[in-house]
Amino acid sequence: MERVTFSVGNEGRQVFWNVHDFEWLLYAFSVVALAIFAYGLYRRWKMWTAIGKPEMRIDRIGERLKALFVNSLLQLKTFRELYPGVMHGLIFFGFLVLFIGSAVDAVEFHITEPFGFAFLRGRFYLVFSFLMDLFGLFIFIGIMLALYRRYLLKPDRLGYREERDNTPDDAFALILIALIVATGFVVEALRISVTHSPWEYWSFGGWVLAEVFAGADVRTAEMFHRILWWLHVFISLLFIAYIPYSRLLHILTTPANHFFLSLKPAGSLEPIRDFETAESFGAGRLEDFTWKQIFDADACTRCGRCQDGCPAYLSGKPLSPKKLIQDIKTHWLDRAAIAGKQSSGGGEASGAGEPAKTLTGEVVDLHELWACTNCMYCMEHCPSAIEHVPKVVNMRQYKVLTEADFAPELQLTYRNMENNSNPWGIGAHLRADWAKELGIKTLAEDPAVEYLFYVGCSGSFDDRGKKVSVAFARILQAAGIKFGILGTEEGCCGDSAMRGGNEYLYQSLAQANIEVMNRYGVKKIITTCPHGYNALKKDYPNFGGNFEVYHHTEIIAELIAKGKIALKKPVKGTFTYHDSCFLGRYNDIYEQPRTILKAVPGVKLAEMERTLSQSFCCGAGGARMWMEEDIGERINDMRTDQAIATGAGTIAVACPFCLTMLSDGIKDRKREESMAALDIAEIVWKAMDRDAAAT
Amino acid sequence: MNIVACVKQVPDTEAQIRVKPDGSGIDETGIKWVMNAYDEYGVEEALRLKEKHGGDVTIVSLGPARSLEAIRTALAMGADKGIHICDPALDGADAYVTASALAAAIKGIPFDVIFCGQRAVDDDAGQVGAMLAELLGIPQVTVVTKLEVNGASIRATKPVEGAQLLIESPLPCVITAQKGLNEPRYASLPGIMKAKKKPVDVKNAQALGVSAEAKLKVLKFVPPPARPPGKIISGDDAVAKASQLVGLLRQEAKVI
Repeated sequence: MERVTFSVGNEGRQVFWNVHDFEWLLYAFSVVALAIFAYGLYRRWKMWTAIGKPEMRIDRIGERLKALFVNSLLQLKTFRELYPGVMHGLIFFGFLVLFIGSAVDAVEFHITEPFGFAFLRGRFYLVFSFLMDLFGLFIFIGIMLALYRRYLLKPDRLGYREERDNTPDDAFALILIALIVATGFVVEALRISVTHSPWEYWSFGGWVLAEVFAGADVRTAEMFHRILWWLHVFISLLFIAYIPYSRLLHILTTPANHFFLSLKPAGSLEPIRDFETAESFGAGRLEDFTWKQIFDADACTRCGRCQDGCPAYLSGKPLSPKKLIQDIKTHWLDRAAIAGKQSSGGGEASGAGEPAKTLTGEVVDLHELWACTNCMYCMEHCPSAIEHVPKVVNMRQYKVLTEADFAPELQLTYRNMENNSNPWGIGAHLRADWAKELGIKTLAEDPAVEYLFYVGCSGSFDDRGKKVSVAFARILQAAGIKFGILGTEEGCCGDSAMRGGNEYLYQSLAQANIEVMNRYGVKKIITTCPHGYNALKKDYPNFGGNFEVYHHTEIIAELIAKGKIALKKPVKGTFTYHDSCFLGRYNDIYEQPRTILKAVPGVKLAEMERTLSQSFCCGAGGARMWMEEDIGERINDMRTDQAIATGAGTIAVACPFCLTMLSDGIKDRKREESMAALDIAEIVWKAMDRDAAAT
Repeated sequence: MNIVACVKQVPDTEAQIRVKPDGSGIDETGIKWVMNAYDEYGVEEALRLKEKHGGDVTIVSLGPARSLEAIRTALAMGADKGIHICDPALDGADAYVTASALAAAIKGIPFDVIFCGQRAVDDDAGQVGAMLAELLGIPQVTVVTKLEVNGASIRATKPVEGAQLLIESPLPCVITAQKGLNEPRYASLPGIMKAKKKPVDVKNAQALGVSAEAKLKVLKFVPPPARPPGKIISGDDAVAKASQLVGLLRQEAKVI
């Protein structure tokens, strides 16, 4: 090939300088590397498709591409945390730019230049060189940050309690990348030290390093350049070939998981439809999961963000969402390997080897399974869009529905829900007693109302919850809102049954409620409990219950905004608002409760360290409300401590479960004299100063 | 081993019980009917014996059509078949008639051990199990909290006045179950679905040849008197309050 001459004004560099004779050899090695890569991917593909039930995850392509763009390309979730965000961002964007740069280089060299059009020249070349060096440096810094973090800082999340989960693969992948970049800079430096092109200071990395080789003679520099070039090539090709066999595979599986993400509401669970014919319910074995539930495990990078906010893990329970997913992954790798052999060997599917482990008890310890509060922290913050909570519920379904093997206290709760449609088992005929003195009509008495106030079990039966119902009903009455209740026709929403794995009971409760609500032609519903709110709003549509559902904080915020209620009496003190998981992470209601509190005269609002989407569960979600908590620290006490740390005198809540848990926490911490937990509605009712008028 | 467990459908203990205006019985509207809790211990023990020794468990119940639900609940827990004695002529049967009907039904099938609840939580009579054993002419151990079956005999523990009585009896016999005997299981969903298809033999009094005459006659149902409101003792100091309390206990409550 004719030698191109570059000069000031026509800057550029010669591709394959000093190694021109090896060009074909590079392509030959590249083909080998790509073949190894493709084979690895093919094998993995066989494993992805070996086990798992079907599930539709390629509909609504537009939304999926958007998720892919936002989470993969913009790395938005990764950037939620500074150090790991910057660390991963440097490596990710470094690679992205270098990849694009190499592609541009190749396009010019192989396609446009033979046609006489070379665009990597002059100013464009200078900027190009600068960017390639800059982003190369970014990768190097990112890798250094990663090595420092993994091996010196050793954050808890990169392990499980005292055990680090570092594998040789972790170190190898990082060192491989560092070497690619380092050898790249040295190759560049050696080239510059020989060619001495005056514009090459734009390639600042190589330019600075070239100083090191300034004394070397040309032949020695050229020889070292060749050696280093080959080293660079081999490490780079090794990297490519290594991807499908290592944690680097997340370069493919994580974006794929972003594309396959659930487009259903947060924490939404696919209802079981075939109670009559199925022999088994829920997930007792890996085969009971869908392909996507299994694929999730292969998208996990062990980053541990889930673990860092998991109330079960932090309170000393055996559960870690990361460990759960990794245990499923390990099991899947075993099972998929066997399944692969059987299908290729033509043997029968059920045949060889020992019987497969059960998920519930063998792959996942039962204490782990039942420790989950369904708080959704893991799913909210997982940068790989892994869906932990539905897997937990599916496994619980197996224990409850198929095996009927679960905690006796939860059995009692379910019996109570069956017999009296509330978890406490208090006589169902007492459900509307809280409203006796208030002159609230039932829909049977007057169905012509704007809102149905779905009171829920806590609001109907729990002494503390009843006070919240009274306060909220009085607010509505004072604001002149026309509403009614179902009275004794109301039933339990079923949330605890569903999240505790008793889908059968949940569906029967849901259907009973829907039947009554539809009979009265209910359109708009208000709940004071986020669990009922979530169930009615997100899950009831599965069974023909389509209502506009509001949480009382949404309604109160609107009443204040519209001036329908006046908050005139100061309620002095420092308040901290505890975000309910089912209101915040599940339904994105973070603002309304705070807006309300800010509208109350005299209220000083202090935020807890774990707040908003990072809020720490009270410990009652996922049917944990009804279960003994006998391992580790009590979650509600930990949350209470976090509230105490703000110096607040009142913990404001918007959920009856949180109210119970934090009230108990205040008692456990012996703070009854100085602290209280109050529902937003109670605080508002105080500020309305209407007690004299109402009673 | 042929095991029989007798069950009765009763109102849930939390249900609101209203007496009919004419006092002839209770108003059944809105009542949630469940299996008598003591019978559940019997069913559970029957199932555990079956799991240990093999055989099958037959559920026998006397009651109106709705009682079938209680039988299905027991079948969902794992029992094999049911006999439902359903006859309007037997409505309001007393313990003697009930025991006679149960005995007639059980005589027709093989049995090694029969479980009953120690009493039903609705009428609290606690007689049927004992009468059943007498009518069948077999031994009985009542209010049992622990049971071991060894071959052709059983060893049963029953609490008596702060002590435990260990009783041995040959089989067949009647055991009446007390709380503490076991923790009844929660029915699995496949169990519930299978229960719908398990055989339940419906029999009337004539088919069983029950001609027993009731020994008891219910004259009238009367609700318990409404509880009078509590009294809060007021007074300037502890002495004044105490003297008022003493006065009330002596004159009104007449307990001192």
